[in-house]
Amino acid sequence: MSENNGPIMVTLQSNDMQQIQVEKAIVERSMLIKNMLDDLGDGVIGQTIPIPNVTEPVLRKVIEWCEHHRGDPPSTNEDESDNRKKTTDIEEWDQKFMQVDQEMLFEIILASNYLDIKPLLDVGCKTVANMIKGKSPEEIRKTFNITNDFTAEEEEQIRRENEWAEDR
Amino acid sequence: LADLLNMCTTQQLSFVHQFVSPLLKKDPFTSLPDELCLRILSFIDDPQVLARASQVSRRWRDLLSDDVTWKNLCAKHDYGRRLSEVYYGVPSYAASRPGALPLTDPDYANHSFPGALPGSAAYYAASRSVDGSSDTALIERPKLRSYKSHFKQRYLVESAWRTGGRHTTRTITQDGRVVTSLHLTPKYIVVALDNARIHIFDREGNALRTLQGHIMGVWAMVPWEDVLVSGGCDRDVRVWDMANGSCLHTLRGHTSTVRCLKMSDANTAISGSRDTTLRVWDIRQGVCRNVLVGHQASVRCLEIKGDIVVSGSYDATAKIWSISEGRCLHTLTGHFSQIYAIAFDGQRVVTGSLDTSVRVWNAYTGEAIAVLQGHTSLVGQLQLRGNTLVTGGSDGSVRVWSLEKMCPIHRLAAHDNSVTSLQFDDTRVVSGGSDGRVKVWDVKTGHLVRELITAESVWRVVFEDEKCVAVANRGSRVMMEVWSFSPPEDAY
Repeated sequence: MSENNGPIMVTLQSNDMQQIQVEKAIVERSMLIKNMLDDLGDGVIGQTIPIPNVTEPVLRKVIEWCEHHRGDPPSTNEDESDNRKKTTDIEEWDQKFMQVDQEMLFEIILASNYLDIKPLLDVGCKTVANMIKGKSPEEIRKTFNITNDFTAEEEEQIRRENEWAEDR
Repeated sequence: LADLLNMCTTQQLSFVHQFVSPLLKKDPFTSLPDELCLRILSFIDDPQVLARASQVSRRWRDLLSDDVTWKNLCAKHDYGRRLSEVYYGVPSYAASRPGALPLTDPDYANHSFPGALPGSAAYYAASRSVDGSSDTALIERPKLRSYKSHFKQRYLVESAWRTGGRHTTRTITQDGRVVTSLHLTPKYIVVALDNARIHIFDREGNALRTLQGHIMGVWAMVPWEDVLVSGGCDRDVRVWDMANGSCLHTLRGHTSTVRCLKMSDANTAISGSRDTTLRVWDIRQGVCRNVLVGHQASVRCLEIKGDIVVSGSYDATAKIWSISEGRCLHTLTGHFSQIYAIAFDGQRVVTGSLDTSVRVWNAYTGEAIAVLQGHTSLVGQLQLRGNTLVTGGSDGSVRVWSLEKMCPIHRLAAHDNSVTSLQFDDTRVVSGGSDGRVKVWDVKTGHLVRELITAESVWRVVFEDEKCVAVANRGSRVMMEVWSFSPPEDAY
């Protein structure tokens, strides 16, 4: 479209009113933004797109991810397909990327869900799944600072209900 | 704050750390909406992880009782039979009860076992060894199960197949005899021997009665509910009531050994004989309806689907016959020597021969579709189920083939000697060999799961979802082992 002007830039505005300039091709990893931009057509240039559900630090993090993955092949419609079966393999860069505090991790998951960036959402969900795996109930509670709100009887009953899966 | 922390001693920092770190932690399942929590859980395919997670807190327990997660898990583990069980289970049982209307649709037997793909029911049609279990299982269990309890049940059965299970051993005869036939039905275990006897046991392996009447070895038999049809060296076809042991009919006509027998409906049995003919019997009236003449040598194997019976012969051909018209529709020529095994799913005929090849034929036109090479000796065992074919031979190998691509999927070095018996379903292949082993294989990966039995020679093995029966020689005795992989009752 406009080869002379270099890449097309768009401006995103986080819910705390911070403006971030991003290359259009990068933010289009978000299906939400992509559809919005497609609807607006050329009218988009110079406009600010509000992202009311995401704070600046989270938005910057999400953009960082999109930048790194800009070359990825477009995600196919794999929702229920084999990709799911591969469970929790995460590539190295993404693993490092997800080494953030839990608050941020959950914010990224929420943001990627809102912005409709499936691959990022999956990386986030897999990261949480990996934090759950291989742990006893008590270890899971410790990991996420969860209070055990079962009564002693309830706890015993639910332990017995789930005993079958321990037997291998 | 940074300046303050810089002034702290290690001890103080450690305190701060212990104080702060829980504050940085957060319960994902209270921070995120249900939809995303379930998405996280969908990445977990280990039931142990899920079971442990459900013990964390009430919120976690409630989330994990959502059936979506377990439905996903059922899909990942291919435990996908629940819908069909629930939907078809009851009516099919009712329909297969004695006294129900005659089965007018010849394909009915297959429809009533929805877990079975076309083909398996044909191979084990009358005995329903493959899928009959869903019938009996359903009467004992709650009809509508959640995916979680379904998963749990299947998971327990699968792990029992891998490492557990209970078994009982019975002696059938003290003197070494040849076991010629074994069937596992929703009510009985039936064993036929070359000493003219047929032994009937309940499904736990307790002896009920012995059918005596044949005067020479019994070489073929087929059960249908309480009826059993048998034949052998004395040339007679006998119809028995297994419930009381009485012989209802003795059907005469064959002039040599009866080598194979199948039923197409509750009234019709078809026998194949060394006298080169097939006979169509009305077993209720006790009369011969038709004689199918055309083979030049012994009829070794046959299979029925609807109005079509296919037969394999020592004359190296197979024939496709119309039962109602009593005539041969096609002769399948191509094998160089005797045909020992045949399978038929209504569309394709598969034959196994002494010439070591397996051939696939179009049942409508009689044309050859493919020749499957690989066995190095007689192919005496085969089963067809959907697009999967499993063959076993005297070379001791078991081969899994794709009939979609007409190519081998797995080659299992199964037995040191002949494969005497094999059966498979969506999950596993069970093979028995004259090396005395019964082996269980993962049908998808081709890996050996387990050696179930070690004896001197295995005659026959049959299984269904939660049960496996094998007859084998041990010492000079013929033994029967009945394995159960059902979870204990209190597991529900």
